Amino acid sequence: MDLAFTPEEQAFRIEIRDWVKANLPQDIAHKVHNALELTREDMQRWAKILGKKGWLGHAWPKQFGGPGWTAVERHLFEEECALAGAPRVVPFGPVMVAPVIMAFGNREQQERFLPGIASGDVWWSQGYSEPGSGSDLASVKTKAERQGDHYIVNGQKTWTTLGQYGEWIFCLVRTSNEGKPQTGISFLLIDMKSPGVSVRPIRLLDGSVEVNEVWFDNVKVPAENLIGEENKGWTYAKYLLGHERTNIADVNRAKRELERLKRIAKAEGVYEDSRFRDEIAKLEVEVVALEMMVLRVLSAEAKGKSSLDIAGLLKIRGSEIQQRYSELMMLAAGPFSLPLIHEAMQAGWQGDAVGALHCAPLASTYFNMRKTSIYGGSNEVQRNIVSQTVLG
Amino acid sequence: MDFDFSEDQEQLRDAARKWVEKGYTFDRHQSIVKAGGFSRDVYNELAELGLTALFVPESDGGMGMGPIEAMVVMEELGRGMVLEPLTQALIAGAVIGGYGSADAKAWLPRIASGEALVVLAYQERAARYALKTTHTTATETNGAYQISGSKSLVPVGDQADAFLVPAQLQGKTALFLVERQAAGVTTRGYGTQNGGRAAEVTFHNSPATLVTLDGQTALEHAVDIGIAASCAEAVGLMDPAVTITADYLNTRKQFGVTLNNFQALRHRIADMKMQLELARSMSYYASLKLNAPAAERSAALSRAKYQLGQSMRFVGQQAVQLHGGIGVTDEYIISHYFKALTQLEMSFGDSLHHLGQVSDAMQETAGVFA
Repeated sequence: MDLAFTPEEQAFRIEIRDWVKANLPQDIAHKVHNALELTREDMQRWAKILGKKGWLGHAWPKQFGGPGWTAVERHLFEEECALAGAPRVVPFGPVMVAPVIMAFGNREQQERFLPGIASGDVWWSQGYSEPGSGSDLASVKTKAERQGDHYIVNGQKTWTTLGQYGEWIFCLVRTSNEGKPQTGISFLLIDMKSPGVSVRPIRLLDGSVEVNEVWFDNVKVPAENLIGEENKGWTYAKYLLGHERTNIADVNRAKRELERLKRIAKAEGVYEDSRFRDEIAKLEVEVVALEMMVLRVLSAEAKGKSSLDIAGLLKIRGSEIQQRYSELMMLAAGPFSLPLIHEAMQAGWQGDAVGALHCAPLASTYFNMRKTSIYGGSNEVQRNIVSQTVLG
Repeated sequence: MDFDFSEDQEQLRDAARKWVEKGYTFDRHQSIVKAGGFSRDVYNELAELGLTALFVPESDGGMGMGPIEAMVVMEELGRGMVLEPLTQALIAGAVIGGYGSADAKAWLPRIASGEALVVLAYQERAARYALKTTHTTATETNGAYQISGSKSLVPVGDQADAFLVPAQLQGKTALFLVERQAAGVTTRGYGTQNGGRAAEVTFHNSPATLVTLDGQTALEHAVDIGIAASCAEAVGLMDPAVTITADYLNTRKQFGVTLNNFQALRHRIADMKMQLELARSMSYYASLKLNAPAAERSAALSRAKYQLGQSMRFVGQQAVQLHGGIGVTDEYIISHYFKALTQLEMSFGDSLHHLGQVSDAMQETAGVFA
């Protein structure tokens, strides 16, 4: 048992740190460090910088153009990016659909779709949830009927994150009503420019437009866009959920945000108040404990052991921590978190701030973070899963 | 970075586990509690396994093992709710071995063999968990030392062979070794929460051997060793507490179905598992940082003890709660895990104390490596 990274891993970290420092645009890092609004252009600019270096699909195996990093190296890369203030990579292409295409897609599909994902040129969205299918994903109703060499898709997806920017969408669609709900689902790739696809943004409680409804009205999808076999989509979706499990804990971002929380608390004069500082101290311990748990999972994964029953805990704890730091930042600002001035959350705003400028996005972030215990399988669903591992 | 145990460590764990399973049944535990909370026979059995020698340097007749070896052993002793204080042998071995004068080091072979049980006597009435408060005083005459004062909650204080005693010498804390049989030493023993034993120990001009003049450094290290050992012991206690509770939910029927059908209870056991794994992670962290430089070590150990304290309280309370009425009986095992966990939370500094330590030591950045 050993906590230290190897000299090679430490050298790798330095190499990444230097590269990120040289290549991460300062204006983007500034926005991330201050929770200011990121535009589509910001996100895609960083994705393309990573893509050019071959690091957008940094977890991809070498045969598909990935750098062939170990689990530890991937973790170090993500940590260095997060601490430097890089935006999170929009995961739908490189982290979510790409591994499914690699594992279950045919060669033609791999050659057609993977290059655009690796370069950051094509924006992918996720079509999973539906109005009637939230945590109970297997109940999806969006229908795909085979007609000759096409599928005709009808239905509605929702909570499609950043779908307003999407060019392609991977969807779970119902191709059969026979047997258990899970057995009639297929995994379909749909060009969002196809006639009959419409996107309606959903305004969220923080005023942001982050998620969307996506409608399919007799959308004609070539059958060659089906991944793997018809009615096997649930298996592929589960494979996807099992991929990159340590990512979801987002511990690297938590470390960065903990630093920001301390800066805000100092500026607002509550850091010296032991009642407040102790709350930060509790969070600090929680972050360290989460990081230790992530490192344990990584170490097991690096050795090819996947049986660790603690990976399921990462999502619950990670999301609770995200909510807690956003809550404490808002509380640090106190009354000065009350104004909700959207212009003040944009970089370069020249108006007069109420209180300090850093107070402007705090309530908005707090509101936004409520999603983390709901999405990706609500924390209550996660607890059901964890209880299964304990109770058998 | 590697969280696997070496083959030797696994063997050590197996040896400790086998001894616990065969040699330290719940019945034996209970009979020791009834007999006062300490059995020298059991302590000798731990010594025969070589466990009292773990932290004694090899040059002094010990095994010179590292924190991870101690951790796997303490987990297993926790699992069996072993009352005999191996933690004290770890502290005495490491502290005398690391800081001790030649006279003090002469005790090491007997500490290693289990012949001498030397325990840390540092708690004072006015100090609570503060390590800088010592009202016990020491005087020196022609190179001979005497100490006077009182210490509380000394583990098996009325049966130990000698005490490690911090005392004020010319305005500084020095660390001494005092034999229980020495002149002016009186003890008053009693049972504690977990069924184990402690004592009030009073010194009146008692002859003492100087361990080190830098008693503060040694004492802080001693307590950090105690924290790491307690964290591991607590993981050992919580692990079966969760398993036993899960078994209970899987078998106990109410309203015509087993309790594992109720989602409120399923979620509670998921929360217990969460606390157990956070605790295990931070117990690893504690032991992995135990040999770090003093400031880094103490900061890490306080983080660990805070997490463990939270976990211990939650898992202990919920293990009782999910058992219902049987959980609050003396006859059934789960209440004993609960009490052992309660005692450990308040040993070597409770959660609020260590939260304060973390809070005072906070830096701009934080993480496992900072």
